[in-house]
Amino acid sequence: MFYTKNLLSYVLILPLIGAFSLVIIPASNRNLLRLVALNFSCLTFVLSIVLWIFFNKSIGTFQFVNKFFWIPILNLNFTIGVDGISLFFILLTTLLIPICLLASWDSIQINLKIFLISFLVMEFFLIGVFCILDVLIFYIFFESVLIPMYLMIGIYGSRERKIRAGYFFFLYTLLGSVLMLLSILYIYHQVGSTDYEVLLTFSFSALEQRLMWFSFFASFATKVPMVPVHLWLPEAHVEAPTSGSVILAGVLLKLGTYGFIRFSFPLFPEACFYFTPFVYAMSVVGIIYTSFTAIRQTDFKRIIAYTSVAHMNLVMVGLFSFNVIGLEGAILQSLSHGFVASALFLLIGVVYDRHHTRMVKYYGGLVHVMPIYITIFLFFTMANIGLPGTGSFIGEFLILTGSFKANTTITFFSATGMVIGGCYSLWLFNRIAYGNLKIQYFNEFLDLNKREFLTFLPLILGTFVMGLYPEIFLESIHFSVNMLIESMYF
Amino acid sequence: MTIETLLFKEISILPELFLGISIIYLVLYSTFLAGNSPYPLIQNSLLYLGVLVLLLVLYLLVNEKLDVLELSVFNNSIINDYVSFFSKTVITILSLFCILMIQQYLKDQKLNQFEYLLLILFAILGLFLLCSSNDLITAYLAIELQSLAFYVLAAFKKNSTFSIESGLKYFILGAFSSSLFLFGSSILYGISGTVNFEEFKDLFFWALPGNVVNLSDVTNNLYFESKENSQIALNYPYSLQKKLFFSNVFFDVNLLQLGLIFILISLFFKLAVAPFHVWAPNVYEGSPSSSTFLFSVVPKLAIFVLLMRIFYYSFYGMIEYWRYFIVVVIILTIIVGSFGGLEQRKLKSLLVYSSISHMGYSLIAFSTGTFEGIQMLFCYLVIYSFSGLSIWSIFILVRLKTNYNSKQNKDLTDLLLLGKSNSMLALFFTTVLLSIAGFPPMIGFLVKISVFLTAIESSMYFVALVSILCSVVATFYYIRIIKIFYFEKSLVGKLYYPLNNQKSILISVLFFSFLFLFINPTLLFLLSYKFSLLSVVGIF
Repeated sequence: MFYTKNLLSYVLILPLIGAFSLVIIPASNRNLLRLVALNFSCLTFVLSIVLWIFFNKSIGTFQFVNKFFWIPILNLNFTIGVDGISLFFILLTTLLIPICLLASWDSIQINLKIFLISFLVMEFFLIGVFCILDVLIFYIFFESVLIPMYLMIGIYGSRERKIRAGYFFFLYTLLGSVLMLLSILYIYHQVGSTDYEVLLTFSFSALEQRLMWFSFFASFATKVPMVPVHLWLPEAHVEAPTSGSVILAGVLLKLGTYGFIRFSFPLFPEACFYFTPFVYAMSVVGIIYTSFTAIRQTDFKRIIAYTSVAHMNLVMVGLFSFNVIGLEGAILQSLSHGFVASALFLLIGVVYDRHHTRMVKYYGGLVHVMPIYITIFLFFTMANIGLPGTGSFIGEFLILTGSFKANTTITFFSATGMVIGGCYSLWLFNRIAYGNLKIQYFNEFLDLNKREFLTFLPLILGTFVMGLYPEIFLESIHFSVNMLIESMYF
Repeated sequence: MTIETLLFKEISILPELFLGISIIYLVLYSTFLAGNSPYPLIQNSLLYLGVLVLLLVLYLLVNEKLDVLELSVFNNSIINDYVSFFSKTVITILSLFCILMIQQYLKDQKLNQFEYLLLILFAILGLFLLCSSNDLITAYLAIELQSLAFYVLAAFKKNSTFSIESGLKYFILGAFSSSLFLFGSSILYGISGTVNFEEFKDLFFWALPGNVVNLSDVTNNLYFESKENSQIALNYPYSLQKKLFFSNVFFDVNLLQLGLIFILISLFFKLAVAPFHVWAPNVYEGSPSSSTFLFSVVPKLAIFVLLMRIFYYSFYGMIEYWRYFIVVVIILTIIVGSFGGLEQRKLKSLLVYSSISHMGYSLIAFSTGTFEGIQMLFCYLVIYSFSGLSIWSIFILVRLKTNYNSKQNKDLTDLLLLGKSNSMLALFFTTVLLSIAGFPPMIGFLVKISVFLTAIESSMYFVALVSILCSVVATFYYIRIIKIFYFEKSLVGKLYYPLNNQKSILISVLFFSFLFLFINPTLLFLLSYKFSLLSVVGIF
């Protein structure tokens, strides 16, 4: 009874089953709750690996397509399917969720049940966002992610500022996406369907494309985030618990870039070309401004948060180069940023669990007492800069090569961002790792335990593999990206 | 003649007749029960008798013929069709829930005199007549019956200054708006010589935009038509000949428009949309919560049915005239509703502003002038009423253990730590709030985007843009309530009485119907399709 055609549906529905089975377990049985949640998320990850194995790398169209009827009289259906672009985002999501559960194994003391349920529900929504082939239902999933994330920031956040951060997160994202909703309704009105593959056969007039592109941009740019609307990100990151930050940086930011690739590019190609200078300008401002801002931050998490903004803006430069190299580089950089930024947030979580502060000035000389921790930290700092041998190097290299073809000036300015990136990353590492141990603040130190080391292991391996032999990932992406580019130019 | 007698068309108002007779019986019953004491407390028996009456009315409604046939009785002044059937059914179910939910509140607030239930039943009778009224006079009388009951309900807490004040305000402004309705009706009567919606339709359906219309042309046209169809010829010439004494008079369409605007303003007063909303926060806050519950949940649908009958059935030809007025009102309403709620510290006044903005969204669907518009209007109203019902039920049911009796109104902070003390109730409240805010994946999202879709289909881009941006602002005050449930780190919360079994079952029925409707909304859309089919029959 196991058809590979239905594999994607299983991957999608499994976290939801997990969430429902958590509902019936009493909240007092904490160990069982954690084990059930972890097992369900691991099973989802294994199934998604199977999905990758059965994925046909030599075609660029959608695979594992399944269609369920939702409101037949309004022609709204629930269609799912993956292609090379969305496959790795699904894999990234399913990999990060068990890691997050492991990372917050002991640190969540209150309301554990709600935490686990909202995590699994969020996994369902995130996988849904990446595999839905219907614009309206994409919007539903895209927005629904906000609810568990809002609860996570609000309930498990550490400081009183968390409420403000929750509002920032919720309202910024909502304000952007309601404009997208209007466009989606307009599309539905014009085409009579919101099915993605039907929409691909439809072409809008130039004015319609520009207006709708802009409203989609308002939504995705808030998620990426581009510069004027990036303010929610540092707030949300600083206030969210470690696992929330990991999901936020690892997956939620990718919703923006994924949305650009999936919807803005093929549906409004002319508007994409029309607005390219605008996006370039905003991205470059974003890269340089947030890199400089990252240097002068005192909060550990804020530094990494601003780093994320800079890297995601670099991804935007790669996307809008509109050639295969740039686009593949952008996707690869998204993935590697998902690994590296998540690992850095996990590293912050490790010291935060021990000392309950994130201020950089309280730390120093950790290399004397936490050697394993500092080794891993060094590795990911280097990956963050883009050291050859890590995935970020491949991603950044491909992005800069691609954008060099399109616009040399922009490549120059984007590359500046990498230099400043080296500056803030190394300085942060210096402050944390070297110098004297600040015993006047803390005098008990504990290196990584086995559970924490195991949470880092898949991320280290992933970053290495992506850096040494990226073809494993790229070979599945090639055909989909080629098809996308062709459909844009012709 | 025998056939006429056998058919006995008046049988179609059996639910109203039954309700009226039951009210009289209940009056007798409770005065008999009163005995010596002048104000007998409401017995549970009376309340459950009221519930029984409503259940029987529901049975009579559902038992009626559900076909497309329209039955008009009492000289064509009361009509029974699918629209009236359906809105009556919804109103009955809503008021059933209302009565069951406010039971405990009435006892606590010492409002449990027997008149309270009787007044509610009178209001429901008025709403029933409003749903099936087919001329302006019946509509006026029905509105008055409903409003008079509501005025008394608002002022029912006799020892509270706020309650008396709000009852008086409600009365004065309600009477003012009713007089506007009468003024508009008299203008329409002066122009046409009739008050019947069907005859309005015959007269003004051809009155397309222009300045001067010669009514004799219209009537000639009608005669011409009636010769072709013998059935119409039998019915119409008599009635029209009697009334068309003006057959050669020219009249100004602007005057007709003025009359329509007066009627619109009066009904907008009743719906509490801006800029005619100023009475609403005051009245809703002052009157006892159980009465506010009724005002804000039950009557909206019936008033929209009347609006539909007047403006879609009779005056659809004049859509270009009344539509722009409504569009201005919509934008004002949504802005006031969204921004006004931001600074509210009391849950009750917050809900008032929320209901104001929701009336704005319903008016968007109303002003589109399309078939889908009416369909989505009905969907929206039903979902809005039921989510309003859920929110108000929780508001009424959550009873503080401390200083509950002295405190008539709840602050938002009274719900502090509800997420810990009663987590299921908090979860349900969160679901309903997100649904009302129009947030996916809830049913409220679906009906809200349907409303925006109809707006886009009739090219009302500006209205859609403004209202969707304002809905983001409105989301803020909904998620603030969620914040109060879950996020506050205060260790000292309020204590609440637990719900009893009956209330828990009612609440869970509401909860699962919300979940079910999102997964399978086809039922709602099908019912509303049939609803709109009948209501816009005037267009075709």
